[in-house]
This record gives sequence, C-alpha cells and structure tokens, in this order.
Amino acid sequence: MKQENIRNFSIIAHIDHGKSTIADRILELTGAITEREMQDQLLDSMDIERERGITIKLNAVQLNYKYNNEDYTLHLIDTPGHVDFSYEVSRSLAACEGAVLVVDAAQGIEAQTLANVYLALENDLTIIPVINKIDLPNADIPKVKKELKDTFGFDDEEIILTSAKTGEGIKELVDAIVERIPAPKGNKNDKLKALVFDSHFDPYKGVIALVRIFDGEIKTKDKLKMMATNATHEAVELGIYNPKEHIKDTLTTGEVGYINGSIKSIRDIKVGDTITLENNPAQKALPGYRPMKPMVFCGLYPLESSKYPDLREALDKLKLNDAALDFEPETSKALGFGFRCGFLGLLHMEITLERIEREFGIELIATSPSVIYKVTQTNNEIIDVDSPVKMPDRQKIKTIEEPYIRTNILVPSEYIGPIMELCQNKRGNYISMEYLDQTRVNIHYEIPLSEIVYDFFDKLKGATRGYASFDYDLIGYKESNLVKMDILLNGEVVDALSVIVHKDFAYKRGKIIVEALKKQIPRQMFEVPIQAVIGSKAIARADIKAMRKNVLAKCYGGDVSRKRKLLEKQKEGKKKMKMVGSVEVPQEAFLAVLSMDEE
Amino acid sequence: MIKAVYIHIPFCENICSYCDFCKLHKNEKWINDYLEELQKEIKQNYKGEKIKTIYIGGGTPSILNIKQLEKLFQILKIINLDKNPEITFEANPEDLTKEKLEFLKNKINRLSIGIQTFNNKLLKLLDRKQVNIENIKLAKKYFKNINADLMYNFNEETKDILKNDIEKLLKLDIPHISTYSLILEPHTKLYIKNYQIKNEDTNNEEYINKILKENGYIHYEISNYSKEGYESKHNLTYWNNENYYGFGLGASGYINNERYENTKNITKYLKGNYKETSHILDQNETMQNEFILGFRKIKGINKQKFKQKYNININDLKIIKELINKKQILDNEDYIYINPKYLYYSNEILMNFIDIHFHKQ
Repeated sequence: MKQENIRNFSIIAHIDHGKSTIADRILELTGAITEREMQDQLLDSMDIERERGITIKLNAVQLNYKYNNEDYTLHLIDTPGHVDFSYEVSRSLAACEGAVLVVDAAQGIEAQTLANVYLALENDLTIIPVINKIDLPNADIPKVKKELKDTFGFDDEEIILTSAKTGEGIKELVDAIVERIPAPKGNKNDKLKALVFDSHFDPYKGVIALVRIFDGEIKTKDKLKMMATNATHEAVELGIYNPKEHIKDTLTTGEVGYINGSIKSIRDIKVGDTITLENNPAQKALPGYRPMKPMVFCGLYPLESSKYPDLREALDKLKLNDAALDFEPETSKALGFGFRCGFLGLLHMEITLERIEREFGIELIATSPSVIYKVTQTNNEIIDVDSPVKMPDRQKIKTIEEPYIRTNILVPSEYIGPIMELCQNKRGNYISMEYLDQTRVNIHYEIPLSEIVYDFFDKLKGATRGYASFDYDLIGYKESNLVKMDILLNGEVVDALSVIVHKDFAYKRGKIIVEALKKQIPRQMFEVPIQAVIGSKAIARADIKAMRKNVLAKCYGGDVSRKRKLLEKQKEGKKKMKMVGSVEVPQEAFLAVLSMDEE
Repeated sequence: MIKAVYIHIPFCENICSYCDFCKLHKNEKWINDYLEELQKEIKQNYKGEKIKTIYIGGGTPSILNIKQLEKLFQILKIINLDKNPEITFEANPEDLTKEKLEFLKNKINRLSIGIQTFNNKLLKLLDRKQVNIENIKLAKKYFKNINADLMYNFNEETKDILKNDIEKLLKLDIPHISTYSLILEPHTKLYIKNYQIKNEDTNNEEYINKILKENGYIHYEISNYSKEGYESKHNLTYWNNENYYGFGLGASGYINNERYENTKNITKYLKGNYKETSHILDQNETMQNEFILGFRKIKGINKQKFKQKYNININDLKIIKELINKKQILDNEDYIYINPKYLYYSNEILMNFIDIHFHKQ
C-alpha cells in the first residue's frame, strides 16, 4: 500500500447526531461488512454502548476503497461522543489527519459539537462538515448550514449532506475523505515511532495496543521498546481490524493497527506512549497526551460484604480496558470494606457501576460523588480531599478551594431565563452569552464542579424540555465557604452519607437529604430519627415512624405450615439491605444525598 | 417420644363468621358415625405411648349430648395416660350446663371457654350467642384450670370495649387467657362480606399486656397469659416443636419427622381415608421450626435442650450471633429469646429462619 493512498480519520459529533450510523454506512459502502453481517452500530460492541446509544471505547477499522481507479486504505478511528470522554477523543484525533464533523439537520450545533471541533483544530486536523439526518421531516438544512458557516467559518460547498438512514450522501462523503484529508506524512525508512492511542485486554492474548505508525515499520517478532516505561516486548502478532481481526506481517508508516506483545500487565503499556525498536530506537518520543485525571470520586461497596474480593477483581479487570478508572481500598464504618474510585465524570461513573453490576453480578452501594477539594490547613499545609470523610476538623482548616468549570450551554433563546435561574441555584457566576443565530445562544457560567455532579444534567433537561446541550471545561480552583455535613441515623453518624456543602445552602440541602432518606429507608421495628448536622449543630431532622406490628397472632398445632407460608410471602417482599449500625438501609438510599428536589 | 394427643370434634351449632377451622353444622347422624370412625382411627394409629396431655378441640366439642360425650370418653380409654395428665375440653359458654359440667367433672381437668368478647354487638358480628356469665361462674365451681379466649382488633372496637372485656375476665378470675387479634382468613363469612379490620396502628397488645401483668398474669407465649402454674401444657408441646398425635377430621399431627394433616372431607373420613397430606421434614427444616415456634415463648428456647436435640450449640449459629448483635434477640445463661421490645414485630425476626441452611452457616 502506497503511503500517499492512506487516509486516517475520525468521526466527531454530539451525542445522537448519528455518528455510529454513519460509520456503519461507510463500512457497508466499502464492503468491510456485508449487509447480512450488519448489526446496527457495529463499532459499538459493548452492550451498554448499544443500549445507551453512545460509544465508550474507541475502535479502529481498516477499509479499502477504490477512487478514480486507485486503491485507497482508510482507517476509521471511532471516538466517544460524551464530554466525560473528551480525553479519549483527543487520543484518537492524535492518530488522524482528518475528522468528519457530523451535525444533526434538525438539532444543529450542540455543546459537544463545539468541544469536539476545538479538539480537532488543536490537533491540526482537516475537518469535513456533514449535515446528517436530512431525511427528517423537521430537518432545517439552511439554518444548520448557516450555523456551521457562522460558528466555524466553513464554506457552503464544503458541507456534505447525508442521511445515514437512507445512505444518501455517504459515497460523496467517502470521496471527500479521499480528496480532502491529507495522506499521512512520515518516513518508512526512519526509526520506528508508533503512537499507542488505546489498549485493551484480551483474556487469551494479554494486552493489545492500538497504534498509529508515524515513522518506520514494525514486523512480527521485532523487539519493541516502550519509550516511557522502558519495557521491552516482542511483537508476537500484528494486524488490523477490518472490522474482524486480520493478521499481518508488517505495519508500516501511516497505518493504524494492533500489536499483541504477549503483555500481561496493562501497566506496561501506557496510552500515549511511543513504541520504537529496541535495537534501533528513535531519539525522541512523539508528543504524548497529558493523562486525564479523575474528576469525580465515590466510594463503592459490595452490598454483601463477602463480595469484596470479587469487587476488587472486577475493578482490576475494568481497569485493563479503562485507563481513566482509578481506585484504592477504603474502609467505611457504615459500609465496611470497599474502594474509593475516581472517574472522568458522572457518566463514566454510571457506566462503570452498571458494568460491575451487570458483567460481574456484584450488587453495589455507591456513596455520593465528590470532587477533589484543596484544603489549606492552619499549619499552611495544603492537602487534596476527595472524600468528605477525609475532610480535616473545622478548627484545622484555613480555607477550602473547590474546582470550577466554565459551561457551554447551547439552548434556544426562550430558555435563557430558566437556565440562568438554574445556574444561579447551582452557585454559578454569569460570564457571558453569545448568539449562534437569531434563536440560539451559548451561555457561559462558572459553576463549581461539585454542583454539576449532582443533578445538573437532569435539571437542565427539565428546565429546557430537553432542548439544551451542555459541555464544560475545567478552569481551576476557587475558594468557597464550604462545610462538611454529617448525617445521623438513629443517633449514629453514617460516614458514607457525609457531604461537603456550601454554608449558605447547607440548611436547604440538609432538609432535602433527610426528607429523601426518610422516603428511601423503610420503616423499622423502632422509630429512627434522621438528622443532618454540621459539627455538633443539628440543622435538619426527619423521623421514620416504627413499622406496623407484624406478628403471628395465634399459632397452634395445625398452623405451622400455614404460618411458614405467610413468613415466606412476607420475606419475598423484602429488599436486600445493608445493616448500618442498627438500621437497615437499602442500596439506593446512599445516593439520596444526590437528591436536590425542592419540596 | 409422643406425649400429646389432639382430638378434633368438628361440629358446631352455628358457624362463627371469622372461623376458618374445620367445622360442620351439627347433624346427629354424622356425629354418631363420626365418633365410631374416630375410634377406628385412634385404634389404628395410636401406638400405646404414655400420654401427658389430651386436647379436645373443635368445632365445638361442648355441643355433644351426654350420650355422645359418653361415647367420646369411652373412646379415650384407648389412650394410655401418664399420671396427672392435662385434659382440656373446649366449650361454648351456653353449653356449660350443670348436667354437662357434672358429666365432665371427673373426665377432664381443664376447660377452654370460647368467650371472645362480652360485647353483644361484636358477638353478633361474630355470629356468636350472648355470653352466659352465670354458666361460666358455675363452671368455675367445677374446674380451677380454665382458659378464656379473648378477641380484639375489631373495626368497631373502642378502648372501652376491650377494657370492659378484660375487666370481666379479671372479675371472673380466669387463670388463663388466650388473646386473638381478629384476622380475616379466606373462606370465612367476614372475609366474604369484605369486613374491614382495624387498619391503623393500635397499642392493643401493649394495653392487654400491661393490664394482665398488673393483675398477676405471666405472659408466657406471644398470645397467651396465665397465672403461675396454669400454662397450657398441651399447647407448649406445639411451641416446643415436639411430637403429637392428631385424630379426627382435619386434625394435624407431628410424629417422628412427619407432619401430616387429616382430610377435611367428612365423607372421605367416614370411609376411613384419614390422612390427606404428609410432609417429611429433614433436620434443617425441623431446626427452622424450632426457632419459628420456639421464639413464641417469651422465655425463649432452652439452650441445653437445643444442644441435646441437634447436637449444636445454639450460640454457635451465625444467624443467632447476627441477631444477638442486632439486639433483635437476647440471651441469658439458659435461654435465647426475642427482645421484648420487638415481640410484636417477631415475624420480621422469624423471617430469617424460613429459608436458612444451618449446615452452610
């Protein structure tokens, strides 16, 4: 394959704008899969991905395409659409020369469209703008075209119209990929430089690295060196995905493929590292990525304490395919042994929890998510606090800083009012607002990240009837007047329910949390007071009344089997609970602290 | 070892609206045939053990006439009695005539009287006759060991009615009181006419408990109170999870590790087809029952007897440790028992035993 006939590209889009369906159509058009093999959204192979309609892990597929009687090799590198995974987007973009930007013909530009385009521009990629779903009855092509021109400066004739549903425009798009996206640069005779842009764990083969060759060549049995970790491995197997695994002897400059180095530990392969040859190494590594740090933390505990080792194993296995997942052992007085886990964002957290429950069959209790607070103590020592439990005593705290984000909220202008009200309630500072066109605005606020990890998405959807889209950038730390609020059940502090709140909002939050817990925790054999306290001062209280009496009134000779049946029936209706002190608490209650509903 | 015999007399003058026991309208021909058949059943199945307690229940045994009673007690002579046996006979107040009491005088030593309530409005709801207090007073002259059934939790109930009922029982100085919270069982008249029982939290149990204890009664089982020495020995057999014979229509028994129930179909019974269901218990289920039944006793389960029976130290069981830890059950040197605070929530605690595998503990 001639290097000048290789094209490496990604597809970027806001969630639901049709990225995966376009990918499927391209696969079909290039004959990578027959229609019979076609499973909707083939690239999204995880169940959760298909159910949620989002792509979580990237995939790389090699396609063959004939254009003007020339054979071309296209590498399609899939990207996640959600803001939580922008790190992974930037990783896949670094392996490409071009990006297909997909915008929904009815929705227009959304928050993640902006975020993705900025990432592509940072990576110097050629962008091909596509308006998709033109078959929709409510498609407004002129309006979306205008948005693309006004926001990003595209020309009319650059924009390709497609319907992934009917297949219209797909050939034109693939032609444009060949025509417009530059061939990879680099020299096949130079020393090997291969960028690791993803890795996953195969139970039979070990760690598989996905690479893009920037210079040189890899042959099977080459001795490879990881430039960051200095680990060496033999290239046991090389290949590409088409989309099935296809073994090759060589991967050459410009190509995208996989390396199986019989590597047992995922830690030996760092995503972003450069691979070179051990006996003929390159001098300088490719620019890597700044590794994305987890932003949101929560405690994960098995509902049944005996499942702790299983949970550790599950997290270990997930970590193999998910470098962004972070965890360390943690002990809670209320919940026993578990793990403090770090996630890129709320969605990343939700998906991880769901995978543990579904793929590993472990029922979980998750404590409320927290961000990292920077606490300056009275001795001027600054510490990072990722859990309310680790917050020092109030007397020892000089200041607390918390992470802030800057929002892109794209919304029809009629919802400006509700959005501002929402952001104000979330302790937001108004920054600015831009009109994308006459009817749509991009609203910028600075908001504490901790407010976003609660119910911001839901509230945003509710306030705008689903018309808003949202994205954010981290902008750094700011001092806030924060306090730790403890929750007492039956007079005992439940460490897993503690939260850090802004002092001005503490009373309201305390009230909401105790009321939410009152709803979640079933009546017990005795009355259970729930209190929210700051230090030793109670700020809210709700009482769970004792349950109704439950007793077998009379029981004589013939009654035993009937009474047993009654007990069996009563037992069936019981949920599994966690014993916290003297109180039985259901799983969901631990997320009650997330609840922000007024009244 | 079998030490107890239950005998069922299913016939009634009229059927009470709440009753889901095995009962039939009185019919002279059937009664005579039934007693004949009962004799056959006992002869066929009784293995001659020394018996310590007999309980003649119903239905309404007291509606039998003297001739029929003579037949019944003649049958009972088949049974080999230990010395000082407890022999209980169930009766309705209106049947406690001088004639019957005279007859029963030397044949039984414990009388269980179905009073339920003294309130006429409630008695009407229950389809029961007015309580003849004079008869009860008369019965007291014949028997010291008397039980009265007391029912509560009526929708129409007020504190005054319950108070009055208890006060009357106290005045009659009846040494044993069985309390029954009214329950709507399917196939009863009350159930069919969609009667609503009290659907709110009451403190009736606590009220009864307090007033009876103040008057010298011992609360010895969840729904049973007695003066010292007047506990029902027969019923303790059930709560101790011990063996007993059950003879008669619809009677149930527990022999070795078999729990069986007789047919409720009089025609089948009269043809000699007594047993309807049989269930063989393994050690695990027997142990489950030990707890489900044993925890009904306020004193609880005797540790030493448990050890003798199952060769397991009760305190070594994981579930027992857990429940003690939660303070749902308590223990002393000799017994393990439900925390009195949670007595009226005992189902919540007993549920733990319904599907437990002790050997996996």
